Amino acid sequence: MFSLFIENFRISITSVLANKMRSLLTALGVVIGILAVTLMGTLISGLDHSFEKSMEFLGKDVLYIRKYEWFGDKEWWEMRNRPNIKIKHANSILERSQYAKYVAPVSEWYTSVKRDANEISGVRVTGTTGAYAMISTAEIEKGRFFSSSENRSGSRVAIIGKDIADNLFENENAIGERIRIGNYTFRVIGEIEKQGKFLGMFSLDKQVIIPIGTHQRLFTRRGWTGINVRVDENNIDNATEEITALMRQFRHVRPTEDDNFALNRQDPFKQQYSMIKLAIGGTGFFITVLSLVVGGIGIANIMFVTVKERTREIGTRKALGATPKMILMQFLMESITICLFGGLLGLGLAWGGSFIINQYFPSEMPIDLALTALGLSMFVGIISGLAPSYKAAKLDPIDALRYE
Amino acid sequence: MSLISLKNIYKIYNVGGEEVRALDGVNVNIQENEYLAIMGPSGSGKSTLMNMIGCLDTPTSGLYEFEGEMVNEMDDNQLASIRNRKIGFVFQTFNLLPKATAQHNVEIPLIYGNVRRDQRKNLATEALESVGLGDRMHHKPNELSGGQRQRVAIARALVNKPSIILADEPTGNLDSKSGQEIMEIFDSLYQTGNTIILVTHEDDVAKHAHRTIRLLDGKVKEDISVAA
Repeated sequence: MFSLFIENFRISITSVLANKMRSLLTALGVVIGILAVTLMGTLISGLDHSFEKSMEFLGKDVLYIRKYEWFGDKEWWEMRNRPNIKIKHANSILERSQYAKYVAPVSEWYTSVKRDANEISGVRVTGTTGAYAMISTAEIEKGRFFSSSENRSGSRVAIIGKDIADNLFENENAIGERIRIGNYTFRVIGEIEKQGKFLGMFSLDKQVIIPIGTHQRLFTRRGWTGINVRVDENNIDNATEEITALMRQFRHVRPTEDDNFALNRQDPFKQQYSMIKLAIGGTGFFITVLSLVVGGIGIANIMFVTVKERTREIGTRKALGATPKMILMQFLMESITICLFGGLLGLGLAWGGSFIINQYFPSEMPIDLALTALGLSMFVGIISGLAPSYKAAKLDPIDALRYE
Repeated sequence: MSLISLKNIYKIYNVGGEEVRALDGVNVNIQENEYLAIMGPSGSGKSTLMNMIGCLDTPTSGLYEFEGEMVNEMDDNQLASIRNRKIGFVFQTFNLLPKATAQHNVEIPLIYGNVRRDQRKNLATEALESVGLGDRMHHKPNELSGGQRQRVAIARALVNKPSIILADEPTGNLDSKSGQEIMEIFDSLYQTGNTIILVTHEDDVAKHAHRTIRLLDGKVKEDISVAA
């Protein structure tokens, strides 16, 4: 049976190559279908990758006490009237909470960072304490984090992100050098490893970290303050409840009143993200199914034409001893070959497309999806080839031989 | 025992409510190593009889025995198998696959007969050499003359070492010189022990055979044997 398989494959290839333009046009639906499904897969894989990295930055065991909710249906103006988060509550939480492992107050302000004539604007200036290093997943690549005495004394020392290091120091060693943050001179004591972009929106590496006391004196009047709490990963819900209660207590919120602060976590990001993913996946799926169905009909149509054109060949083959099943397999194989050819073409285009996507955020074409796509195009080939092949198999050899 | 035995064969078609008797009670026995011509005007039923003998068609009624096997009781797969193993067809229009080489064309019956690749190659080469086309094995039909194409077709008919070679107007599409060459091949095939059945309306072709069956209106009108 194997030689028959080879023979059928040979016939299919010959037939596809003999009608290049026709095969290409016929396979177009499958090409588009496979292109859609693989590009969608590549896009989702890229999004997944980028999302995972961004979520890593947030950490799954970190609670962010903020004035504003990251997600939710609260009105912006309602939250604006809430009191600001106070640094002193960081210590209170650490003292009173049984789930909090590390607590770091965080203040942020955006300003420019200069060294000599080089300037980077819009740099995130984070003021925090030594605990920040224990909460953040980013490692110090060179140098060190600031000590508690530096923190207490309000030293002008800074840990710089990768973007700052690359742009202001290029190949030089930044440690010990001086930079100007806003209008103030700081000494660089550390460098953070590359973190990439947050959800593809803004660079996490375009930041400097300074002691919170220093930040308070120089920048905080205009920025905002929050508290990051790293809790026991297995008790994150209990921790949320407990810390909410503590915050309410600190801020004297009456039992009838709503919280006047937000306890943010990475979870809502995930919910939001899976909705986006579902939308992309749904669209891709719809396009794929539509083009495969239309493409399949086109292939069935052209296969009927092929069977008609080759009626005499079918008659000859039957006279030479081909059984109906052998003829069926021959035309089924031809239909599958057209679809596989379309599938491979679609995959090739998607592969090229994935490079373009890769320019915007790191992604790769998932291998299992590529294989599934090929399987899918085979499936389309079988389904659309079935009726024409059956017709060929059932032809009466005498009529077929006599066919002009 | 006869190689082929047709007993009381009827083939009746229904054309627009009218009964057409393409074969109307035919009795024919064919022995091994006969050289037979079936003749008759168009509509006489000679094509139907040829299709019947070639196992392309089954009778409406009657018994058809081929080497002791009852052909009239066979299904499509069994008919395909008997065509593959026992019958070599030669068509008026050659019916070669245009995109395949001479060798590949000759291999087709072997592929359907599930013969191994290396063996297939040897058998095809042998068959092509026996019709004098040993040097044209890798040519495609459009690179061959009409006579050469028909020789490829004969090689294809021979390759499975069939019990009969069934040729339908084998010289009908050829000039007289090529036709003559083809008939010489049939003559020599007969001499080496093959059974040959020609279907033709040309007396020149039929005179090569040693037995002639003339059909008229679906009946055997005469069955004449000439001593070899």
